[in-house]
Amino acid sequence: MILVSLFLLLLIHGAAFAAPFPLTPPEGFRALDTPNDAGTSISLVWKASPGDSKDRKVQVWLAEKKANGSVGEFKKITELPSKSRYIKPGDFPWWDQPAAKGDHYVKIPSSQSFPIEDGKGYAAKLVIREGDQEVSSPVSEATPAPNWVNLAQINNLAFVVVFTGILLTSIGASRRNPHMYLRRIAGLDAVEEAIGRSTEMGRPILYLTGAGDMGDVSTIAATVILGEVAKKVARYDTTLKVPHRDPIVMAVCQEVVKEAYVEVGRPDAYREDSNFFITGDQFSYTAAVDGIMLREKPAANFFMGSYFAESLLLTETGASTGAIQIAGTDSDHQLPFFVTTCDYTLIGEELYAASAYLSREPVLVGTLRGQDIGKAIIMAALILGTTLATLGVLVQSDAVNYILDLFKDFK
Amino acid sequence: MKEFARWMVSIDRRIIFVLIALGTLLPLLHPFGLPIKVSPEVRGVYDYIENLPEGSVFFLSLDFDPSSKPELEPQAVALLRHAFRKHLRVIGMTHWLPGTGLADSIFARVAKEMGKQAEKDYVFLGWSPGTGSLVIAMGQDLYKAFPSDNAKHPTVGMPVLEGVRNLRDVNYLISLAAGNPGIEMWYVFGKDKYRFEMAGGSTGVMAPGLYPFLRSGQINGLIGGLQGAAEYETLIGQKGTAVAGMDAQSADHFVIITLVLLCNVFYFVLRGDKGRPA
Amino acid sequence: MIFFKRQLPLAITLIMGVVFALQYYIPHPVSEDAITHLSKWMQIISGFAMVLGLASLFQVHAMKIKRQVPGWGYSGILFFAMLATLAVGLFWSKGETTANGVQTAFGWIYSYTMVPLQATMFSILAFFIASAAYRAFRARSREAALLLTAAVVVMMGRVPLGQFLLPWTWDVTQWLLNVINSAVRRAILIGVSMGSVALSLKIILGYERSYLGGGKDQ
Repeated sequence: MILVSLFLLLLIHGAAFAAPFPLTPPEGFRALDTPNDAGTSISLVWKASPGDSKDRKVQVWLAEKKANGSVGEFKKITELPSKSRYIKPGDFPWWDQPAAKGDHYVKIPSSQSFPIEDGKGYAAKLVIREGDQEVSSPVSEATPAPNWVNLAQINNLAFVVVFTGILLTSIGASRRNPHMYLRRIAGLDAVEEAIGRSTEMGRPILYLTGAGDMGDVSTIAATVILGEVAKKVARYDTTLKVPHRDPIVMAVCQEVVKEAYVEVGRPDAYREDSNFFITGDQFSYTAAVDGIMLREKPAANFFMGSYFAESLLLTETGASTGAIQIAGTDSDHQLPFFVTTCDYTLIGEELYAASAYLSREPVLVGTLRGQDIGKAIIMAALILGTTLATLGVLVQSDAVNYILDLFKDFK
Repeated sequence: MKEFARWMVSIDRRIIFVLIALGTLLPLLHPFGLPIKVSPEVRGVYDYIENLPEGSVFFLSLDFDPSSKPELEPQAVALLRHAFRKHLRVIGMTHWLPGTGLADSIFARVAKEMGKQAEKDYVFLGWSPGTGSLVIAMGQDLYKAFPSDNAKHPTVGMPVLEGVRNLRDVNYLISLAAGNPGIEMWYVFGKDKYRFEMAGGSTGVMAPGLYPFLRSGQINGLIGGLQGAAEYETLIGQKGTAVAGMDAQSADHFVIITLVLLCNVFYFVLRGDKGRPA
Repeated sequence: MIFFKRQLPLAITLIMGVVFALQYYIPHPVSEDAITHLSKWMQIISGFAMVLGLASLFQVHAMKIKRQVPGWGYSGILFFAMLATLAVGLFWSKGETTANGVQTAFGWIYSYTMVPLQATMFSILAFFIASAAYRAFRARSREAALLLTAAVVVMMGRVPLGQFLLPWTWDVTQWLLNVINSAVRRAILIGVSMGSVALSLKIILGYERSYLGGGKDQ
């Protein structure tokens, strides 16, 4: 008897659990102008329902509003499962969220079948279908308009402004204090040694500025270091050869070398043909420089700037002639080749630091200091972000997203 | 022994070159054919293309010149075979002017093999100056960026480009790049702005540098070097030059490993003798 | 004259730099149209830059031939090759590498000179890598020994023979590439990117003027 009662009890309760949620119109449905866009889409939001399931479908219907205010014929745009398109943490920043987390959000862009134009009104409705039952939402209207500011990326703009401020402040500080501390770069001691060796052996120095143009940081750093090398070369009366791939870089380097000779009081020793153009083609240039290395056997080779596949061809040929080789590049994919074939290698930002260290130009020193501060901020953000994200998972809280969202890239 | 060690440590480079040459030639003449293991990064590309519906727009940018042909051409051929087999609409182009003829010949050859027609199943747009600016221009209006294809036929009205106005209408883009302009440029000026899904293929040297983009989801797959091409050929079930080349690559790697280990043995023999580094 | 050589370029750089930096944050169609127009200008300027490169090449090698400096014969060969390719491409093949499925003379020059020459130069790397590795990969210190071990494991893990003989090298290689390598590359990428951003800001604000050509007086 007790068993029968228990069985009946389970049957009744089971039936209650198994009974589907009644089909009701979506709660809180509204159409709105999509935020942060060019005005060619509208967005729809509505609250999540406990009845959302894979068997329940949501159809989106749109109609154009005519000039006289009437609504045209509704057209089915798309159909989606009801248990989809929820706003998740990370979809929108907290300062620009079109609806609450957990609500449904669907963006309807303009398409060939249903063009959406800015300034034109549109009416939207949802039709929820389950089996042979269906229910419609009330109609909601929206007029898409283009936005002048993408508020979701305001954090990105703020960081740009802050970094610019840090940079300008650092440059100003270095102008006031030109002897700002910079860590000594190991490879720089070798520059003096290399030039001295070339002078003793009576062989030229070969200096390459890399594959980049004057728009590359590494090429600018290379030209600054060339200026310092040229000053030393002028004092020791050694021959300097600088083959180029880019005519504009060549023009800049010609001026840099000429000024270096003038600065140390040796304008007579300057040779116009120390800087010469070969070709812009990667391997033609490499073949030409390899030929120079094998014929003229420079005692010291400098590889400063950005490089690609030609790096090993240049450095290995240089190594075979017995030259002392010093490299400096921000091309991380070529670093292994430089490290294995050169006596000294300046890695990444050491190249930028070397140019600042040697020249002591306030702009270069200040920029380096500004970059270091920027990197310190990034490191602090990494530590803070990792800690907060871990904390958020452990305590099951979304509150950490108020800080984490500040560092995210939203579109 | 010491004299031999001394000789070996400063061996003539040409002997090393001969060993590498033999390591490359012999396996090509007598292949031993080992199974190719597929990495998740290559599988990511394969699975995405495999799940694209028929008629989807697949954009393939062959951003390399003849110097990178041995590594990147097998990747291009394998991807095109897969795309044509899935009946995708293929759009091709290149950002590297010296690679235009090579890219055109790759498209023509694979299309002929797979029975596909130009303008109907695929189009090769060719080269146009601008790199990043060109990508932005394509993102706004593909027909203004490329009024005609590489064969000088007008792009407007081409059956393969039906419904494609700009890069937003591309379902999947892969850039096979040997340097710059390449995958990073496509991401910065293309995917970041126009929101298509993309993957990359690169030479073996550049591949490790692209892992940050792969790990962060900026690209959803990466085909690295000849090994990556061989993995892709294995996935599509059509072995080509990449799989054939892996035997040679295996042998060469082993020659280098053997030489390096031997060099270290001799180095330590000399170092132990003198009590200081040789 | 100073105004056209210095002030005007700096003013254009400042205005265009600020406007198009802000363009990234403006989704309005006006902003999209502006970037479309600018990208067209950039494409046209890029085309002119090619002409500039060609003109520089001609000028430099013409001077070498005129002055008969040592090696001027090679400049002559360069001229001949350039002019011959131009003539064949422009007048004979009309810029096409294939015509009706048949390779043109221009296509022949491309396929049988440029392609093998470039591939040959690149393939020399394989030999140079071996000789460089033999010379440099010595366990002189603990760090060098660690580098050597990682290099050997990755070299084995990336080829079928290594994966066959020592299957664990594949897993270790994947871990090294996806974890250690990614972390280090990210660090270098962040540093280099900050350098690029700093340089861009300096160029826009006029602190960096080397792109104008010339030395410190700029």
